[in-house]
Amino acid sequence: MTKVQAAIAALLLCSCLPASASGTAAENSRAYRQAHFDYQMNCQGCHAPDGAGAGSVPRMKGHVGVFLQSQQGREYLVRVPGSATSALDDTRLAAVLNWIVLEFSGDSLASDFQPYSAAEIGRMRQQPLNEVDDYRVELLRTLSDASGRNQ
Amino acid sequence: MKFLDRMMEQRSRELAQRSSRRGLLKGLGSLLVGSAAIPLLPVARASAAGNPGQPVEEGDPSSCDYWRYCAIDGFLCDCCGGSANTCPPGTEMSPVTWIGTCLNPADGRNYVISYNDCCGKSSCGACLCQRDEGDRPPYRPDATNDINWCLGTSSAAYHCSTAIVVGVALEDS
Repeated sequence: MTKVQAAIAALLLCSCLPASASGTAAENSRAYRQAHFDYQMNCQGCHAPDGAGAGSVPRMKGHVGVFLQSQQGREYLVRVPGSATSALDDTRLAAVLNWIVLEFSGDSLASDFQPYSAAEIGRMRQQPLNEVDDYRVELLRTLSDASGRNQ
Repeated sequence: MKFLDRMMEQRSRELAQRSSRRGLLKGLGSLLVGSAAIPLLPVARASAAGNPGQPVEEGDPSSCDYWRYCAIDGFLCDCCGGSANTCPPGTEMSPVTWIGTCLNPADGRNYVISYNDCCGKSSCGACLCQRDEGDRPPYRPDATNDINWCLGTSSAAYHCSTAIVVGVALEDS
């Protein structure tokens, strides 16, 4: 396990297990592998193994962290149909979203990223988006205006 | 011939003067011990142990019964000029795919299988297989094999299907 993987596993563990759980290395590894497996089974088919996307499937690699710059963007990643209506429960959806953000963001993620919690996911996924493409364009324009750079 | 005899004799005498019989034994001994010790060196242990992410393979990839095809619905690329991992020449592998798990009877483990379709030519027509294990109705579009998965390719014409191992499935704890 690399240092990056260990850091992701630690964060995943913090975000999805009860506070009383002890964070052994084995559990960290299990949390990382579970999130990766859930990504493979629920997301990878369209978003590709490295988050690069394809055709009309949005690219997450080197980009997805941009959405964490605003509360609306943070909610967007949960409200897209692939997240909100997935078969994963709140805990595992939180873990796989944290895995995606940490694994694929690259430089697009701010250092003060707060992992998603299961309770937060449970709240946000109650309002899945319908017109996702239009919403995304508008959201990225807002984020671009706020940061002063092209997203 | 006398010239050859003389030359061989001269070379043999020179060799005998420069080397010793013990030296020869020493060299041979070193070679023998050295050769025997090479496998003991800590080299390539990882590859010798086998890759835990790679399955033990058995079965015929041109048969519908092959273990990786547990959820397949289409023509086997292995019968169409490609293989279970590669597309036939002249076709393009779709980057968008549907993913499931299959049990490998050879090692008793479940693996994550990516059914990447090969696109850009009309249907292959050979080795039609429909096993559909784990297939879901179209209202679960990420888990149905009834739709054309030639998405993200320059052509949407379906030719055949691969079944690529992309990981080891995690068993429920």
